[in-house]
Amino acid sequence: MAESIPELGNPIAHDEEVVVIVGSGAGGGTVAYELSQRGIPCVVLEAGPWLKPEDYENDEWAAFNQMAWLDNRTASGPYRVATDFPNLPAWIVKAVGGSTTHWSGATPRFRDYEFRTRSHYGVVEGANLLDWPITLADLAPYYDRAEKAIGSTHRHGRPALPANNNYKVFANGAEKVGYKFYATGPYGTNAEPYDGRPASIQDGFNFQGDKSTAKWSTAVREVPRAIATGRCELRPSSQAVQVTHDARGRADAVLYLDAEGNLHRQAAKVVCVAGNSIESPRLLLMSASSLHPDGLANSSGQVGRNYMRHTTGSVYARFDQPVRMYRGETMAGIIADEARLDTSRGFAGGYYMETLSLGPAFLAAFVEPGSWGPEFTEVMAAYESTAGLWIVGEDLPQESNRVTLNPALQDQWGLPAPDVHFEDHPNDVAMREHGYGRADMLYEAVGALGTHHTPPYPATHNLGTCRMSERPEDGVVDQWGQAHDVPGLYVSDGSVMTTGAAANPTLTIVALAIRQAEHIAEQLGTGA
Amino acid sequence: MPETPALAPAVRTNLVRLLRAAYPHPSFPDGPYERTADHILGQLDESLWHRIALTSGLESLDASAQRSRGTAFADLDDDAALALLRGIADAEFFAFIRGVTVVTLYNDHEVWDLLGYEGESYSKGGYLHRGFDDLDWLPSPRVEEYDGPERLVEVAPDDVPATTSTTGGR
Ligand SMILES: Cc1cc2nc3c(=O)[nH]c(=O)nc-3n(C[C@H](O)[C@H](O)[C@H](O)COP(=O)(O)OP(=O)(O)OC[C@H]3O[C@@H](n4cnc5c(N)ncnc54)[C@H](O)[C@@H]3O)c2cc1C
Repeated sequence: MAESIPELGNPIAHDEEVVVIVGSGAGGGTVAYELSQRGIPCVVLEAGPWLKPEDYENDEWAAFNQMAWLDNRTASGPYRVATDFPNLPAWIVKAVGGSTTHWSGATPRFRDYEFRTRSHYGVVEGANLLDWPITLADLAPYYDRAEKAIGSTHRHGRPALPANNNYKVFANGAEKVGYKFYATGPYGTNAEPYDGRPASIQDGFNFQGDKSTAKWSTAVREVPRAIATGRCELRPSSQAVQVTHDARGRADAVLYLDAEGNLHRQAAKVVCVAGNSIESPRLLLMSASSLHPDGLANSSGQVGRNYMRHTTGSVYARFDQPVRMYRGETMAGIIADEARLDTSRGFAGGYYMETLSLGPAFLAAFVEPGSWGPEFTEVMAAYESTAGLWIVGEDLPQESNRVTLNPALQDQWGLPAPDVHFEDHPNDVAMREHGYGRADMLYEAVGALGTHHTPPYPATHNLGTCRMSERPEDGVVDQWGQAHDVPGLYVSDGSVMTTGAAANPTLTIVALAIRQAEHIAEQLGTGA
Repeated sequence: MPETPALAPAVRTNLVRLLRAAYPHPSFPDGPYERTADHILGQLDESLWHRIALTSGLESLDASAQRSRGTAFADLDDDAALALLRGIADAEFFAFIRGVTVVTLYNDHEVWDLLGYEGESYSKGGYLHRGFDDLDWLPSPRVEEYDGPERLVEVAPDDVPATTSTTGGR
């Protein structure tokens, strides 16, 4: 059968009512795979091109310019990204596989309390906290499946990755300051061959496409396998611009533009929106109708609100001996000791520390944006003897942190560009400061000569803009990701997260997508 | 577009001097700075405004070097050049220069060599057999997850909500 299937899958007629999936990243790629495996026809609309491993650039700027979403966007609000990178609020990929092509691979699970932050943190001024409509126990079986799909190290018999240079500094420092819960994973890159893909060759390029395919992405696993079922058609360079509904209010089609800007309509039985947390709410806001004057699925007024980007920061430490942090897996090092709830530290929620390395090109651009002079070159000159880590923790949802349509700016198609407005909550600031302090201690314990505290980058984790809620008035989608007020419309990406937890989000996005696909299959009567 | 007159040679000389003062790396030869300067100058064809701002900005640096030190900007020592630049840190032409420099100078392969960065490795089989773990001044750490007697307490006792009892370490 496989030989006869064209590269982009068996064609599906535009008037055939199928499941239409917008976006082929962690969420969309997974839903397409899960549904097509069950024999359910799907069309995947992906705004970006289908690049193959041989096309990937192992060069920071070249890879970024090849794959990042660079259509017009704006950042606003008091956070520093709005000043330093006013047109780059986020680093998201526009290509088949979405941001899983550039992700690095850290895959911790959320903790039990993180599904119930309103109950645990109480009323926090300025925060729009809400408990998830599901618990860790509900998601646990899907976490198992997601870890097996991704091939997370340290899980289900997958071996650990070895220690690279950056990890050696990180883990020795961790041990010295008394941390216990550190390891080289869980991490979504093979330590040994698995699932038809090879073991890591430690080539040092993770925030770029992985030419070796040792790293999981939906571009190397879910999307090609969905196509191979014969039930899924992939349409790259196809950007959804509107989701429509019938007279009864049920989602019935997606309008999209092809590479030349021609408008097409794909009929839909079910629509799954998975464009990541900036494009998904943008698409809903652009889909306003007489039934939904404030944007599709926005009866609650919560579409685009509660935007979260994780509380992040990086620490780069200089030593008197070489480290060469760039050799090997970028983020194969995780410390979980601070990923817990203990408000005696001065903030609610927790954070992880993870190894991180940038090449000189990106380090120069991001280590201290705008900086120059000897204080800047001192950091750069120490490149070879530098170790780095990333702090990633829970940030609190705030209603005013928000994705809106920018009336003053359009994209290349003439559509309103999204604006991302963000301000740290005081809790976020306190957590970041704590993280910087702990990272300094860790590196000083192994002899750092000095450390540099790097502010948050354009967001790689974008969450919360179509959040899940028990009650329709509190959020956009229900526990399955289906819009409270638009039957047949699902959101299948990180925008459904009610709160963001400390963990990197992708494992949870994949687990939620597997669970959602099972539900959709049941609804369509095809069985699970 | 009408022909734009060629830039005076002093513009390039001053720009290279400026880059060395603003991004001082004593170990770097002139090559990377010159290539960066040429890249900046190459971009001026695309924006008349940047061309005007840059030319007049560099001229004003020369003028103030003459005023304060009686010499051309290009002949100032490092400290004096840096001090002058600190005085104009917010000037638009200098912000433009920095914006291009930070993504050009450190993307220069000779600079990568000088900083000790080896770049792409896939074509050579990765760093697997080329030193990904050659750091030898610290002991080899554990790579497995902790399996000792201690448990991570997910929720501190004081943070367990009064109404629930299902939380805490697992
Ligand atoms: C450098 C980097 C490192 C990362 N490291 C980690 C990590 O270690 N661990 C982790 O958990 N996460 C990591 N992430 C985050 C991770 O990549 C994302 O959380 C995840 O990919 C999000 O999945 P998604 O489905 O929401 O969106 P994406 O994977 O971004 O996919 C969205 C897709 O939708 C497409 N799209 C958007 N709008 C439209 C439209 N209107 N029509 C058609 N297509 C559209 C986009 O082109 C894109 O392909 C990292 C991200 C980056 C950038």
